[in-house]
Amino acid sequence: MDLSARPWPLVALVLRLLLGAVFVYAAWTKLRQPWELFALAIDSYQILPMRAVEFVARALPWLELLLGALLLSGFWRRISTSAVSLLLLFFFALMIRAYAKGMQISCGCFGLGEIISWKTLLRDGSLLACSLFVTWTAFRGSAGTRNNAGI
Amino acid sequence: MKFCAAALIALLPCLAAAVDQDRGKQIGSPSAPVRMELYSDFQCPHCRVFHEAVLPELLKDYIVPGKVLLISHEFPLPMHQHAREAADYATAAARIGKYQEVSSALFLSQDAWANNGKVWDAVASALTPAEQKKVQALVKESSVLSEVQSDLQGGTMAGVNETPTLIIFSGSKRYSFPGPTPGNYSLLRSLIDGLVR
Repeated sequence: MDLSARPWPLVALVLRLLLGAVFVYAAWTKLRQPWELFALAIDSYQILPMRAVEFVARALPWLELLLGALLLSGFWRRISTSAVSLLLLFFFALMIRAYAKGMQISCGCFGLGEIISWKTLLRDGSLLACSLFVTWTAFRGSAGTRNNAGI
Repeated sequence: MKFCAAALIALLPCLAAAVDQDRGKQIGSPSAPVRMELYSDFQCPHCRVFHEAVLPELLKDYIVPGKVLLISHEFPLPMHQHAREAADYATAAARIGKYQEVSSALFLSQDAWANNGKVWDAVASALTPAEQKKVQALVKESSVLSEVQSDLQGGTMAGVNETPTLIIFSGSKRYSFPGPTPGNYSLLRSLIDGLVR
């Protein structure tokens, strides 16, 4: 199947750049504030011990920045898109769990102050769907089909 | 010029009253390097935990040593039936310097008055008969009611959407976040230490 004859490559390129921008923005909102604020958001999910909360709060924004940069640049596409999909899947599962338990907590997605609601779930679910599609095209594109859109 | 001077003189009692209102809900040194504004709801269980377990630590570690000035604001949530009444009484008590005592009494018996609606019983337990009379009179004053309303509007404008919420000011920095629990108080300590260093 020739992917270049379909709109998918262009759609995947746009979505990859969008995801990259979202990840860079998410990292920036956390890195411009003291790490303790993000740690408070992580701790409110009540899944990690304090040591792990502190480690994740310090490390995750840098990981998001790295993945965002990789998505924007197009380097290591299969690895970066897979990592982003796994990360978003994990975030989405945590948010679903918190929402189902009725926890009125900040999602921590873009700093603090955004309580988990159906809107945040819809947004993160959409991002996950986009990421899965981009990952699928990254594998499919490099599995044998030449594409000119740089996916 | 004369008009400005006359206006200033006319405003002085209002300014003095505003300072008194603020001071009634303040704990700590006004010259502290960190100002912390707390938006709280007397009927909220998390606020009770904050008041009973985190606030004493905060007092001991930062407020008494003069590093933090804490200013309390009312943020009665609409889903809590008696929270507004409790906020009105606490604000009235603040006018006679009894805010902390009444707050403690309200949180201590939160379960009782939240169920039976007898907010005044909790308030009265922290006051002498003379103070009770003053608070009963003050709670009917429009300035007290408008102060609570002003707290609510201020909190909404500041992006408060849950209680307790803390807003920290230090120099030009401003951070807003949910009130910590005893389990993550170490994070608040680390944050304040970073600001006062």
